[in-house]
Amino acid sequence: MSRLTGADLRRVALRTPLLQATWNYERQQGLGWAWCLKPALDRLYADPELRRARLAEHTAYFNTQPTLASLVLGAVVGLEEQRADGAGPDAGGVSRVKGVLGSALAAVGDRLFWSTLKPFAACLGVLFALSWSWFGAIVFWLSYNAVHLGLRWRGVAWGYREGPAVLSGALRRRLEKLVRRLSLMGSGLVGVLIAALLVPGGEPRSLAFQTTLVAGLMFGLLAALRSRPSPTQWALGLGALCLVATWTR
Amino acid sequence: MTPAYLVTVLLGGIAALDATPIGQTMLSQPLVVATVLGAVWGDWTTALEVGIVLQVLAVSTLPVGARTPEDYATGGVVGVGLALGLASRQSFVMAREASALLGVLGGIVTAIGGVPLLRWQRRLNEGLSRWCEEEIRSGREGALAASHRAAVVLAFGVGVAYCAVCLGLGIGWLGAFSERESLRLARAWSLAQPLWLGLGLAQVLHAFIQRRLVRGAMFGAALIGAWLVLMVGTP
Repeated sequence: MSRLTGADLRRVALRTPLLQATWNYERQQGLGWAWCLKPALDRLYADPELRRARLAEHTAYFNTQPTLASLVLGAVVGLEEQRADGAGPDAGGVSRVKGVLGSALAAVGDRLFWSTLKPFAACLGVLFALSWSWFGAIVFWLSYNAVHLGLRWRGVAWGYREGPAVLSGALRRRLEKLVRRLSLMGSGLVGVLIAALLVPGGEPRSLAFQTTLVAGLMFGLLAALRSRPSPTQWALGLGALCLVATWTR
Repeated sequence: MTPAYLVTVLLGGIAALDATPIGQTMLSQPLVVATVLGAVWGDWTTALEVGIVLQVLAVSTLPVGARTPEDYATGGVVGVGLALGLASRQSFVMAREASALLGVLGGIVTAIGGVPLLRWQRRLNEGLSRWCEEEIRSGREGALAASHRAAVVLAFGVGVAYCAVCLGLGIGWLGAFSERESLRLARAWSLAQPLWLGLGLAQVLHAFIQRRLVRGAMFGAALIGAWLVLMVGTP
């Protein structure tokens, strides 16, 4: 019989924004993970000694994409519930589930959130900011957080319901499909954004601006083939070059 | 210190919190920060000009795995704040463009300079993490909340302090230079702005397309279609 209530799962979900508060190189999200799990452990282990031992176990190394961590949290809450009833896996088993799910979700999550959704939402925001000023920031924030906050809040209950198999079926397919669709739409969006920069409001920019933008694009595509220097370092170099070019002309 | 500078510096702390320790809701991204600061300083044009360039550059910075990415949270606040602070001293369009250039450069330098600071905080958190586990094992469960409080206060404090120092140095060092050389700086801006936008958008495009023909075709069709609609108008 389930000992955890919906309110317990909500308390865990409410703590997920602090998952990375104590991020460090040694245990990465480990301490934040224990912080998020604490309401569930408080409910499951009435014996303080046992509860502290479980809590200390969970401060060990853990890392995944922070939004999708909610799914792993839900799955591990379910395992801890079984463990408290004397039926679930031992500490090593829970640790293995955390490791496997964490790695698998990091692979999908990094592609979905950092390489696809964030650039897509940012380009959408910039497109709106070019014409409607402050509205762009709202579009950016809402389009990113519709997915981010939705998964973060509902992920714990989802992971709890599906257990360690949370990423094995429909969810993985849905996330992969979302990545593909956003990448396709994002490619089109960058095209629209470049057109909007070249011809803002139907008035073409100067030839010098258009040529320099295309030169920047070409240079950027070449620079993207190598990971070093980073785009920010390239940007600093280009800025310095522009200053030198202006001063020596 | 004027209220606008005070809000800018406090926003630096909030952005530092949103970037990693709390939420990751993109409140710390340059476009959002620029919109807020544009409202505070009453100059959306300068704020968004700088915010858009920094946003396009920031979007290609990925916090994947254990990598410490460039700190565009405080970089965005300092870049936009610096441009607004410099532009508020002069009213000419040329001075605004000169301020925008110095703002973007200041934002980029702050973002790069923030990396060792982030690493330092993360190393401090290692000690906090070990201390917390020992405390829990010795019966003090409250150490978990205490260590989280400490990490959040540290991140906010470092964000505010770093932002204040960079903004103060930027305004102090570049104020007179911006006024004296506004013509040359405005010319450099007209060259650098499209280059930066092109560089950032190319990185995003590369991440989206990933050598898929359909996505490349989608980009081409959207570019030509949007260009025609903007030039000729809708039928």
